[in-house]
Amino acid sequence: MSDFLTSPEVQNLIKPGEKLITTHCCYCGMQCGMHIRVDEKTGAVKGVEPRYDFPVNKGKLCPKGVTAYQTIEHPDRIMTPLIKRNGKFEKATWEEALDVIEANFKRIQREHGKDAVSVFGGVSMTNEKCYLVGKYARVALGTRFIDYNGRFCMSSAAGGFLKTLGIDRGATLPWTEFEHVDTFFVAGSNIAECHPTTTQHIWKAKDKGAKIIVADPREIPMARVADVHLDLKPGTDAALAMGLLNFLVEHDYVDQAYVDERCDNYEELKASVRDWTLERTSEVTGVAIEKLEKAGHIYGKSPRSVMLFARGVEQQSKGVDNVSLYTSMALLRGMIGKFASGVATMTGQGNGQGGREHGQKADLLPGYRKLTDPKAIEYVSGVWGIDPSEMPKPGVSAFEMFDEIQAGTIRAMHLMCSNPAVSAPNLPYVWDSFNKLDFFVVSDFFMSESCEFADVVLPACSWAEDEGTTTNLEGRVIRIRKVREPLGDSLPDWEIMKRIAERMGRGQYFPYETARDIWEEFRIATKGGAADYSGITWERIDDEYGVFWPCPSENHPGTPTMFKERFGTANGKANLPVVTYRPAGEYANEEYPVTLTTGRVVFHYLSGNQTRRVDFLSTMSKLPFVEIHPELASSYGLQTGDKVELRTRRGSIVVEARLTKAIRKDTVFVPYHWGKELAINQLTNPCLDPMSRMPEFKVCAVQMKKLPANTPLHINPLTVPLGSSVPFMADHAIATSCHVMDEEVHTK
Amino acid sequence: MNKVMYLEFERCIGCRACQAACRECGDHEGLERNYVDYIDFSENRQTFPMICMQCKNPACAQVCPANAIQITPEGVVLSASEEKCIGCRNCTFACPFGIPKFDFEKNKMYKCDMCYDRSKHDIAPMCASVCPSDAIRFIDHDEMMQLRRQRVQMNMIEGKKPSQDDKWNYVPEFFGVYSD
Repeated sequence: MSDFLTSPEVQNLIKPGEKLITTHCCYCGMQCGMHIRVDEKTGAVKGVEPRYDFPVNKGKLCPKGVTAYQTIEHPDRIMTPLIKRNGKFEKATWEEALDVIEANFKRIQREHGKDAVSVFGGVSMTNEKCYLVGKYARVALGTRFIDYNGRFCMSSAAGGFLKTLGIDRGATLPWTEFEHVDTFFVAGSNIAECHPTTTQHIWKAKDKGAKIIVADPREIPMARVADVHLDLKPGTDAALAMGLLNFLVEHDYVDQAYVDERCDNYEELKASVRDWTLERTSEVTGVAIEKLEKAGHIYGKSPRSVMLFARGVEQQSKGVDNVSLYTSMALLRGMIGKFASGVATMTGQGNGQGGREHGQKADLLPGYRKLTDPKAIEYVSGVWGIDPSEMPKPGVSAFEMFDEIQAGTIRAMHLMCSNPAVSAPNLPYVWDSFNKLDFFVVSDFFMSESCEFADVVLPACSWAEDEGTTTNLEGRVIRIRKVREPLGDSLPDWEIMKRIAERMGRGQYFPYETARDIWEEFRIATKGGAADYSGITWERIDDEYGVFWPCPSENHPGTPTMFKERFGTANGKANLPVVTYRPAGEYANEEYPVTLTTGRVVFHYLSGNQTRRVDFLSTMSKLPFVEIHPELASSYGLQTGDKVELRTRRGSIVVEARLTKAIRKDTVFVPYHWGKELAINQLTNPCLDPMSRMPEFKVCAVQMKKLPANTPLHINPLTVPLGSSVPFMADHAIATSCHVMDEEVHTK
Repeated sequence: MNKVMYLEFERCIGCRACQAACRECGDHEGLERNYVDYIDFSENRQTFPMICMQCKNPACAQVCPANAIQITPEGVVLSASEEKCIGCRNCTFACPFGIPKFDFEKNKMYKCDMCYDRSKHDIAPMCASVCPSDAIRFIDHDEMMQLRRQRVQMNMIEGKKPSQDDKWNYVPEFFGVYSD
């Protein structure tokens, strides 16, 4: 365990008999700095103390961050391996569990080939673990089927950035420059609830006169004080962006010198958005022309602007288009690569940035290398010590893995750090797929909804029981510290992968004793790649409050501002996109007259497996609800507190109504943090983006029905059993089908 | 202690981190002493935090028949002392801000004490430490006065502030203090 004292100039309250261990929050991409209070004698976790000197959050925390330490020694922690016998989990030793895993993995691979075993990863883990997941799948198991939950989170942003800028780094500028920004364009990002500690930077800029433009179907807390709130229909972001791009061109707001020097394809983009007049944009998006004009003028005049977006624009079947169009707005204004201006995606998961760069994705190798590039294969094979011919081919995306299970190609799965039984779209299909698996292993530290489908559950340890690094939403690589020894029999994920690798006869490729050993190998593996971490050391991270990648050598200062001279494309110029507008995969019609959008509440993180167990957070937000505009509600005779059934082509849910004028009249909103009967993802549409394979969580067409007041709600979402009564509808099992209709109908 | 608690309701984003953090203060026994509420959720998402105003002449102390609510030399109004509190709950009714709360199990009142164990060392109370929107701040008196003047200054530069009804009808002519 490494101690780390608070900075000498910062005063913290250190109680007698306690010490502070400096680390970061386990939840979202902000990765807020914090100290964990630990009893000096017993090593028990006592609480949290703000870390005032960390520049990204300056001691600030959201309620999840304040209570994060409570998950470490939580009584619900899984303490031993569990093996399912006759439908019931029984405690087991590591040897027994590994025996079962070894026997089944080997049997299935012998009978059905190596690819029959798959790995499903997650990015709420350290870089060391995320890197190892890719190596584990490809070297220990030799399978091509590896993907991760970032496909439900960051992959559209990655796709859009790669397409336009050539390198996918979530933010082109550090958060510390926010206070000098003149205009924030916030699209589909509920910053106040999903990344609350960013608010302080935006408010500070606003105190100096900065303008805020918010594009969101809901009047989110930030929209309340915004200069313009573009209350667009869900799924019409591309239209909004094209309208505004055309507006920038028409009103001569384009930084012509910058575009000529640094961007390709400008004339084509100009021609492609020419038809998007304000009238047409207004008709498609449902935003008043006056608001579009104001937004266009504010964004166009602003000398330093930042474009911020998040899942609202990305979790659509055209997420990549949305991202590249919004990024182009920043490019036309000449904003990228300069002080206090640029573009950023608000990374949702803790290590969403680092975790997607290093080979957990079906088609990527460490350092953002492509699995289709023979040179990359050769280099990484060299680092791993395998023959390049052994390297498996690219697999399929996360949601498509369920199709492969249904097709019988994938017969076993090792799920780590993810809970797709809550977080994937079209859950009835996903649940059925889990049931179809021949053998299913899950590593987790709480009994998640996905664990319940498992044959073997392995106790992973929490973020506070291992050393490592993560990369926050800025691209800043930071240190996670070990706060206590692993609880019970739990082990860090890398140790679990190492043990399984040994059982599969591949132990010689996993000779790690500590997380630092993995880090040192990982640095070499990333060397020369787009995401180059080779110059970053754990000591530098401590001294410099994190180091920004790319950092190709130890005397390189890191790269807080990206693309200062050139973009990451082959010729160094940004690619402006040409996009043909496509409507959402599904939209309101007579039968399903309302649009459903989903999202987060401030009290819960992703599938809620951790936060639903924290007393304060579950008290504040116990059950899902549906937000409805009073005008829409009155046509259904609904009041706040009434029970409503929502139904789509895939499934249904019963929730309580909450009436507020802070949402569009044709749209309802439900948060997604609950499982089983309370999971809104039973309803969402798995229509995938053609490039990023991101499902369309944010738009689907829904029916509403008022239910009698005595309809039971499910009281304890953690213990509602999931029996065979899963409402699986075979008719709707075509996973990636999209109900595409013609645009004329849509725009009416 | 030369610092003050400075509240800016407009900045509140309703995350309730202050409430969660209040429970974490060493002397607070896991009970929060502040609260956050919606103004009117059916209208919009505006929320506001409320903490003890540390009144100069506190109503809670005035109505206490047992003289149990003490004020420190720095002016912090403390929770009722355990020995003296008779559990009459007068203070909970007297406070115009709804701050004193009552613990029925222990039969005594408890209230926001500005995290006295922290603030007496000039370390920010937990709520002000964590508030992600700076709606609650623990700052020097001088800094507070400057912030108040800055408000006025900004209003003068912009001519007028956009209101709820016309905020998008407002054409900006001024961008940030760093504008060229």
